[in-house]
Amino acid sequence: MARPRSIWNGTITFGLMRVPIKVHSATQDKSVHFHEVHAKDGAQIEHRRICSKEGKVVPYNQVAKGYEVKKGEYVLLDQEEIDAAAGRQSREIELEEFVAVGDIDPVYYNRGYYLGAGDDGQDAYRLLHDAMERAERVGLGRWVFHNREYLVAVRPLDAVLALHTMRFADELVDADSLDLPSPSRKPSDREVKMAGALVDSLSASFDPGAFEDSYRDRVLALIQAKARGEEPELPDAPEPSGDTDLMAALEASLQGS
Amino acid sequence: MPRSLWTGSLSFGLVNVPVRLETAVRDRDLHFRQIHRKDGAPIEVQRFCSEEDVEVDYDEITHGYEPEDSEQVMISDLELQAIEPRRTRTIDIEQFVELAEVDPMYFDHPYWLVPASEDDGTVRAYRLLTEVMGQTERAALGRLVMRAKEYLALVREREGALTLTTMLFADETRPIKDIDAATQKSHKPARKQLDAAVAVIEALSEDWEPDKHKDRYRDRLRKVVQQKRKGETISVPDSDQASAPVPDLMAALERTLEELQAGSSR
Repeated sequence: MARPRSIWNGTITFGLMRVPIKVHSATQDKSVHFHEVHAKDGAQIEHRRICSKEGKVVPYNQVAKGYEVKKGEYVLLDQEEIDAAAGRQSREIELEEFVAVGDIDPVYYNRGYYLGAGDDGQDAYRLLHDAMERAERVGLGRWVFHNREYLVAVRPLDAVLALHTMRFADELVDADSLDLPSPSRKPSDREVKMAGALVDSLSASFDPGAFEDSYRDRVLALIQAKARGEEPELPDAPEPSGDTDLMAALEASLQGS
Repeated sequence: MPRSLWTGSLSFGLVNVPVRLETAVRDRDLHFRQIHRKDGAPIEVQRFCSEEDVEVDYDEITHGYEPEDSEQVMISDLELQAIEPRRTRTIDIEQFVELAEVDPMYFDHPYWLVPASEDDGTVRAYRLLTEVMGQTERAALGRLVMRAKEYLALVREREGALTLTTMLFADETRPIKDIDAATQKSHKPARKQLDAAVAVIEALSEDWEPDKHKDRYRDRLRKVVQQKRKGETISVPDSDQASAPVPDLMAALERTLEELQAGSSR
């Protein structure tokens, strides 16, 4: 079978080691995509760029990018100047440090990619893969991709290496800022024990293939039905309700499971 | 308070906890507006009906889909919600798993899950679930429908609250079998090489300190804006050429180790 196309080619370095790699996408969009249409006549909706002063359509070559430095005051930049912020267009990802796999909270992982071995780089690729696997460590470095610099983590994933762009700590919202309400009393030992038993009874090992996107198929079925001229029924959405008797609900759940 | 993205309930056996989602990621990017060069006025994007050539209000817009074998079908938001009325409003916990078993490749977007009311029953049920999940170090799997898409969702305790991460379905990740991972026997590293590579990794090992890593791109972009504001010219940096692989892996590993040892004993 043909190799999937790569979206970036370059070299991972650590110490004096150089590992030629190819970056491949790891995900594929399976959602049903709609376009915007005017409900009245079914005609496509067009997005038009209108000058807020003249009220007229602006041709694309007349569009600049502006950053608002003060209310209503924009600094205009060319795309090239914005791209300059990416820094040097490096073809290298230097793994500057390695951290323990389990130490990174999953919330930091953003987008995932697969890495394939680059030309003449198979031995080095396999060496990096096997060494990280044995050390149970993840390499951290910087990656310049599409004119933007990312913090990335490189790690073994089964037989391949995976690369993830990472979120920065200052992008994450702390739980402290959520202002969570406190209950009148802490959960009782008995409640905690019962809930723990319920968690145990519902525990299983993770099998990603066991979950299918049933919604996607049903959206397509709805489209087919409407194409045949059928009108779908619209059931009322059930109202969610909070249970007041936590203990009774836990007991009933355990009996049912 | 941040805008809530989804409100409904988290259902755990027969226990229902009314909850809402709030984003766990704040957008720190610099955003640019489209500006009309000629007069410096901001550009607004307006929606027009391509047939009538008039501006259309957002609530007059619906979803269109063209099946291969028939004419366009229009689907409303209400019809999309009706497909999964329960999952549009309820996350049913289907099972609990060990967090470490879930590969980060499946993670999509993180949210906080917070009680949707200050009602004591709700708050207590939320606390109980948070506490039990923290103690057992398990994460819950369920599904929800949001913005006309169904997501697999992982709910777990973090910093004393519940966090929900939308996840990709297995068929939304690509198979790894097509990737050249150099799995042939001939590429298997010799024991000596592997030992040396592990030694290099260990010498370069640090604790994970998320705060230490800064978004240099964001800082530089802010600087570019400042320079431009002062009327300075922005220099565009050069590109590097791709470099060649090392011919002798073992020699490179040994030199790296020597350099790292020399560096640490300085």
